[in-house]
Amino acid sequence: MSKTDLSSVGRAEDCSRVKSPQLILRSLVRIRQVGNFFYPFCNEIHGNRYRILAKRLLKSNTTGLKAGATIACALLSSLSQIDTSLFFHSTMANPLRLYLTCIRNTLEAAMCLQNFPCQEVERHNKPEVELKTSPELLLNPVLICRNEAEKCLIETSINSLRISLKVKQADELENILTKKFLRFLSMRAEAFQVLRRKPVQGYDISFLITNYHCEEMQKQKLIDFIVQFMEDIDKEISELKLSVNTRGRLVATEFLKQFI
Amino acid sequence: MPGMACFERASPALKEILLKLHRSEKPMELDHHLHEFGSVEYHIQSSASDQYKTYLSISTPLLSHGPQLSYELPNSAIEVVKGMYPDVVEIVEPAREGYQLTLRLDFAKIPHGKDSVKIITLISTVQAVILSSQLKELLRNVSLQDESQGNYKPIKLVYQPREPFFVIKQPAKLKAVYPMRFKENTDVIIATAFFQELMDVGSSEAWSKAPHCTWSPIPPPELRGELLEDLSTNGGFVTFDISSRHVQGKRLDKTVWSLLNFYAFVKHHVKCTRGFIQRRMRNRLESLVQVLHKEKLKEEEHIKKVKGIPLNISVTPLKSNIT
Repeated sequence: MSKTDLSSVGRAEDCSRVKSPQLILRSLVRIRQVGNFFYPFCNEIHGNRYRILAKRLLKSNTTGLKAGATIACALLSSLSQIDTSLFFHSTMANPLRLYLTCIRNTLEAAMCLQNFPCQEVERHNKPEVELKTSPELLLNPVLICRNEAEKCLIETSINSLRISLKVKQADELENILTKKFLRFLSMRAEAFQVLRRKPVQGYDISFLITNYHCEEMQKQKLIDFIVQFMEDIDKEISELKLSVNTRGRLVATEFLKQFI
Repeated sequence: MPGMACFERASPALKEILLKLHRSEKPMELDHHLHEFGSVEYHIQSSASDQYKTYLSISTPLLSHGPQLSYELPNSAIEVVKGMYPDVVEIVEPAREGYQLTLRLDFAKIPHGKDSVKIITLISTVQAVILSSQLKELLRNVSLQDESQGNYKPIKLVYQPREPFFVIKQPAKLKAVYPMRFKENTDVIIATAFFQELMDVGSSEAWSKAPHCTWSPIPPPELRGELLEDLSTNGGFVTFDISSRHVQGKRLDKTVWSLLNFYAFVKHHVKCTRGFIQRRMRNRLESLVQVLHKEKLKEEEHIKKVKGIPLNISVTPLKSNIT
């Protein structure tokens, strides 16, 4: 655990001194507004006791959903500095699933968009996350890192959400395959509607979801799509690499056959 | 198609022209110049007065400009051409000006049917025969010189323009070194992955009879002293160790042709792999888009379900019984 700065986590400040994941979790669960975010973790990690607790918290939070999401975002941005292995200690069998679950839950909390006209220009309605003209309309960005090479940045504003992904590239071949594939997709962004033509600097691909997208497509389905997209990209790059190497091996065999 | 070689020995364009001439019922007047790979030149001449006699002249650049080769055709090449089909092919002496070899082809003696394709295909391999003979001649001369002088200098061979490779004769083996150059970084990475596989396959026990292959990003020590422009590459150096068993009997022809076409082989593989990646990405795009559209369709269906189907109830006016 490199950093345990939990000073901004409201009543969970005592967590910084506690090493046990169970105790940290118990303290964090005290915050009612983030019950929404922690419920799935409780579900995975500590069985019925914490699940029931988190469920109760969720039930009591029906009136301030939006506020809850906002606080969850703020909390998540500070959590992003913490070594997440502390939370996932007992379920490290499938780290990709945990990474994706974390993104899914963050998106669920963050994707709370509404129509909001531009405050600067009359009769304009633009994604605030792109313009960033009014700081009061922006939430704290959330950075979820699986490792140094794989991360996801979720930037939220009142009427739009921007998700930027950095896909792992273990070697040069994976690097060109990822670049080629993501560029290919970005050039055909109109087919996806929510895909950004140019990724945010430092990332490989970006999505821009506005309140109109949320109205047109269900929020849950959009989240499903993003998560499945991430899964598919990883799988596709691995399969492509394998196919290129297998092709190379077959061609090499054919070439050497000529000498025998 | 400059810079791109054909793996088949027979020139496809030459074969097509000769087949056309052979199959034509009426005599054809033809004077055709054909350029291949930017450096090989064919001249096909046929007159209407003597339809069965066609002249084929060929000029191909020398593999090496060193003292080992002369512009004249090696004897082995002439022997092979003479042995092709003596009734059909006849060497014209001297060859036409600007060409290394002129052949008189007697189409009257080529039988119609499947055999004709076989014979014409063989005639179309004339350039491959000349090149292979040049390389064989070169190796023979080098062997004699080196044995007398005791030093083994690399010989620069240019089959494709801008793609030279080196052959080094050593006591028990022959080394072929290919400096690999590619235009794009993507090509370099695909080719490097291929070279790694080539090394792995070549060093496996199952392929112990195949020539040992190595790839290195820096030039091998045998090329020390060569021109800097020949040694500056972005794809490294591929080296094949050809032993005596690879050049015995019928294998010699195959080995020589494989060595001559290694560049083309790698470039073809890179091109095909790029095509494969592109094809696969296109298919994947469709499946990824389908996920989003499926969700959208489901939602539309749900909305329809909730709204219900508009009823078409025809309201008939009540007829009053009151008269």
